[in-house]
Amino acid sequence: MVMPFDDSDTTPDEALLADFARGDPSAARALTLRLTPRVFAHAYRLLGNRAEAEEVAQEAMLRLWRQAPDWREGEAKVSTWLYRVTANLCIDRRRRAKGGTVPLDAVPEPPDAQPGVAERMQARDRAAALQAALSDLPERQRQAVVLRHIEGLANPEIAAIMGASVEAVESLTTRGRRALAAALGTRKEELGYADER
Amino acid sequence: MPMSDDKHEAAWLETFFEAARAHPAAPSPALMTAVLRAAEAPPPAPPRVPLMARLRDAFGGWPAMAGLATAAAVGVWIGTALPEPATGASEAVWLVDIAPELAFDLAGDF
Repeated sequence: MVMPFDDSDTTPDEALLADFARGDPSAARALTLRLTPRVFAHAYRLLGNRAEAEEVAQEAMLRLWRQAPDWREGEAKVSTWLYRVTANLCIDRRRRAKGGTVPLDAVPEPPDAQPGVAERMQARDRAAALQAALSDLPERQRQAVVLRHIEGLANPEIAAIMGASVEAVESLTTRGRRALAAALGTRKEELGYADER
Repeated sequence: MPMSDDKHEAAWLETFFEAARAHPAAPSPALMTAVLRAAEAPPPAPPRVPLMARLRDAFGGWPAMAGLATAAAVGVWIGTALPEPATGASEAVWLVDIAPELAFDLAGDF
């Protein structure tokens, strides 16, 4: 089986980007494989729409390719830069679509006959429920919660991405968590928490 | 689980975050291919720069170009406006005489 992409490389993003700027095609492949899924998943979490997230991810990666020759190593992390660009593209889209509801197309994968199906389905249901609840959060709260609790970034990095203070990020994540808990709390039984009352 | 308990609430929410991390939306093969194609495409050709703009940039901008033009004009003026040559016929002889070996070497070939 031909594997079109190979992500076994542990070279830092910044070094790969420098190699890419020098015309190394293997660096382009490694970066594509490593970063595109991350950018797409992040865009999807912010937008809740697969088609729009794909467009955003493609545009963000295109901007990275264009930026590569002028990238100054040590100035910023590639991932931080990409999170910021992706979030800005998502915000632009949502503002353009202001007034309309964002369709949620979190279609669960079809269940298979392997052991642990129920657990996996429950996890997928929870992921889908979280996505729905995230879509109802205000833009900044959603971005902060996703970066902190799903992407696993530290508050100072989130602050750099969002152009906010660390205190503002803490406040946004606290309020976001509270709103998520309230929204998900109404679906406890459905999501396998029937005994937790 | 009492929802007033912050720790319990955080742990409960964490199960959702964990599920989201375990099941990220995956990009389509079409997106991966499009991104890779964009990476492999040659960079856009730089725009053609007019000759005057290239000269201006090479000399360091319009102030430097103006200085150069002034210097050239002064040179032309000096060359044409003086009433008589800087060296007369007698000085010219001296100029030749201070390198006699050069004249000798040249003559030696004949």
